[in-house]
Amino acid sequence: MATSMSNESDPLARHDREPASGEGNEQIIAAINRRYGAGFVTDIETDTLPPGLNEDVVRWISARKGEPGWMTEWRLKAYRHWLTMIPPEWAKLRIGPIDFQAISYFAAPKEGPKSLAEVDPKLLETYEKLGVPLHERARLAGVAVDAVFDSVSVGTTFRKELAEAGVIFCSMSEAVKEHPELVRAYLGSVVPSSDNYFAALNSAVFSDGSFVFIPKGVRCPMELSTYFRINAINTGQFERTLIVAEEGASVSYLEGCTAPMRDENQLHAAVVELVALDDADIKYSTVQNWYPGDENGLGGIYNFVTKRGDCRGARSKISWTQVETGSAITWKYPSCVLRGDDSVGEFHSVALTHHHQQADTGTKMIHIGRNTKSKIIAKGISAGRGQNSYRGLVKVEKGASGARNYTQCDSLLIGKKCGAHTFPYIEVKNPSAIVEHEATTSKISDDQLFYCRSRGIAEEDAVSLIVDGFCRQVFRELPMEFAVEAKKLLEVSLEGAVG
Amino acid sequence: MATGFLEPLLAAASSSAVAGGDWLAGVRERALRQLERDGLPGPRSEAWKYSSLRALGQRRFEPGDAAAATRNVDAGLLELAGVDAPRLVFVNGSFRADLSRLPSLPGVQLRTLSQELQEDPDRLRGFLDRPHADAADAFARLNTVLAADGPVIRVAAGSVVEPLVHLVNVGASASVDLAWQLRGIVEVGEGASLRLVEHHVGEAGHEHLGNSFSQIVLRAGARLDLLQVQDSPESANLVRRTEASLESDAHLELRSIEAGARWMRHDLAVELSGDRSRFVSRGVFALHGRQHADTRLDVRHTARDTSCDIVWRGVADQRSRGIFHGAIVVAAGADGADAQLSNKNLLLSDQAEINTQPVLEIHADEVKAAHGATVGQLDERALFYLRSRGLSRAEARSLLTLAFCRVAFDSITNAALREHIDAMMLERLPIREDETGQEPASP
Repeated sequence: MATSMSNESDPLARHDREPASGEGNEQIIAAINRRYGAGFVTDIETDTLPPGLNEDVVRWISARKGEPGWMTEWRLKAYRHWLTMIPPEWAKLRIGPIDFQAISYFAAPKEGPKSLAEVDPKLLETYEKLGVPLHERARLAGVAVDAVFDSVSVGTTFRKELAEAGVIFCSMSEAVKEHPELVRAYLGSVVPSSDNYFAALNSAVFSDGSFVFIPKGVRCPMELSTYFRINAINTGQFERTLIVAEEGASVSYLEGCTAPMRDENQLHAAVVELVALDDADIKYSTVQNWYPGDENGLGGIYNFVTKRGDCRGARSKISWTQVETGSAITWKYPSCVLRGDDSVGEFHSVALTHHHQQADTGTKMIHIGRNTKSKIIAKGISAGRGQNSYRGLVKVEKGASGARNYTQCDSLLIGKKCGAHTFPYIEVKNPSAIVEHEATTSKISDDQLFYCRSRGIAEEDAVSLIVDGFCRQVFRELPMEFAVEAKKLLEVSLEGAVG
Repeated sequence: MATGFLEPLLAAASSSAVAGGDWLAGVRERALRQLERDGLPGPRSEAWKYSSLRALGQRRFEPGDAAAATRNVDAGLLELAGVDAPRLVFVNGSFRADLSRLPSLPGVQLRTLSQELQEDPDRLRGFLDRPHADAADAFARLNTVLAADGPVIRVAAGSVVEPLVHLVNVGASASVDLAWQLRGIVEVGEGASLRLVEHHVGEAGHEHLGNSFSQIVLRAGARLDLLQVQDSPESANLVRRTEASLESDAHLELRSIEAGARWMRHDLAVELSGDRSRFVSRGVFALHGRQHADTRLDVRHTARDTSCDIVWRGVADQRSRGIFHGAIVVAAGADGADAQLSNKNLLLSDQAEINTQPVLEIHADEVKAAHGATVGQLDERALFYLRSRGLSRAEARSLLTLAFCRVAFDSITNAALREHIDAMMLERLPIREDETGQEPASP
């Protein structure tokens, strides 16, 4: 395999987000720095793949991760299917052609800045505003090699506690080795490897991700969280998450994403699968803040994500909450397949596009079981030249008697050059179903602004206040810590949108 | 690639000489080439997502009706309560002077496309040469290639046309399956106003495919009240397209009643291209049996302070399928737009299906836009109330369903016409429970 700059850390690092705690972390960073120094030379030739994708690359990734034969075959099958597919064009997105052969599918990151002093001050300013703790700022800014070690250590600390409850929470690579029977039973059972173009690509080359298994009757004792990051230059990130909640189990899972600022577009194609058996309850929250590109639309992440939950059991519930402020392009439709009778699906979303960002996001609610219920609350905010589309499907199959859906999509426009669009699809085949959809689009009302200004609130603060109110319904669904972050994230993202 | 469906139709196009200038030959040639290249929209066409053309594409219809001028048509078909003269009748795509009534009216010209093509084809420029670049508009292209007749109505600036103008499109039964084309043009001059009824009827018998395309231009300050009543028999397959363009302060009021035809598609494209132009629309489809109705409404706001107000209702019973697509686009710079769309549907049978898709595309910020869509059932409490007043369950259901549909036509001021539509709708409404005596489970 070819050479390039390298270090030992996994570029597609998944690391668990540790609640703020000071000193321990610094020691950890010091420790990993030592290890990194030692491993530097030997790893150059083996850890990095040149750009390009073929069957050998898929085999190499699988071998590098020490996967069993069935897993390699599964990847190859997905890859072969991917070759026959064409990229989807139905979304209201302007996407430049993506050269899949120009992407490295397993690359060590470019050496990051060695200390905070080298980090772009613009980025630091952002973290300052977000109130991210100092040690975490270093981590977020891409200061060399923190990722892998963090995730391992944090994972280990928690794992003991979790194991006592019977919960499995580990990386996907570990799960393939340690719990092959579970992975084999559930992987691809919600999002088949042939599901769509990007899911097939992900199935072929996914590098890592989280695996969560909550056994029967267990209420997960803590909120599980993961922090995703794209670090390396010219790489794609393809993580895969699988969460299984057995009968009566419940879990809340949080996911955060950031990426450093780079001039070129980077590809992120993830797959998330959720399985809820009888009476199980999964809550999945995302704060997505991938690098959106600069104010001229240069750079930024192409975010193509397939997220789907399968309410397989009776009375199961899957709830998606997302705050999408990042990425140059977002293509993401977290969905619920309501198979079990009386199962419930929910989708709460805030999507913000500023400058040249484009988002085409929404959900699918597929009602199959009887008395299934779904609720969709989608809030879109467009500023600058941002284009924001809600695209959703509510489908009631023949057997889904008593199905009920309520959908509300609101869009807020800030500025003359942005766009807000709504594309709902409603397909009903059962005469006892009740489906309601409503959507509105407007700008921030002059009356509201005037009222705030007359009370001495500066224009920018007034806009923040109104936007916060607009999103309140969704933020309420987020765990506290995330809700605060999300609110600040919106403020930062909207900076310069007014006046 | 011309499919089995297009083959005989396109062959007819290349062999027939049409009146008109060179420009028209060029326009037809271009549309023909596009059709040969793209054929009918395939399964991946978003605009035809819920109305597959696969089955139709394999059917063969004979192009046009050579005997259209002499076919006997039941005079009763042409009548519409409350509407007298003037009347223009087209049978299988050809004008029938013998069935029409054309009194001379000041300020309005009631002519036909065939007449204009003979006498003054250049007046049709700007209508007939409108390109259809999107392969999804295959039927508009087909119409451009083949249509040789249709109504041409021009209202002079400032004229207020008092009587209701009645256009009747008859699909008469022939000895073979026929495909016919009709191209209509309506131009209402500055400050003028016109009331028009577009009436689609037919005779049961051999199947036919009617492809009718109307182009409407409302000049500054003009007003058009258009009522479309589609009451074709089960043997009809109808593809209709209505394109309207509104200049400043123009007002289009459209009511659309879709009751008949086995397979129906209606593309309705309205462009609010003049400042302060306004489009108000009320529509309903009531389906039963194996009917398939697909209404696709696209409203584009491209000028300032434009508004649209759209209310559409749908009823699907038995094994029918109803599709509604209502898109509102506010272009950049179209500030002050006010757009409202509501689509409510009743799904009355477990074999029926409703697909609805309200769409908003907003590129300006001084905008108020909202849409809503629902699919549901009759209110059990209302049914209970009516039954407690002595109505049978079936009567109660019919009455409530009729009330649900009425929003599309209860503002028609012509009482006889309104009552006629009322009776027509009532005839289409649910009777299933009467026949089976089956009571649904309580909610």
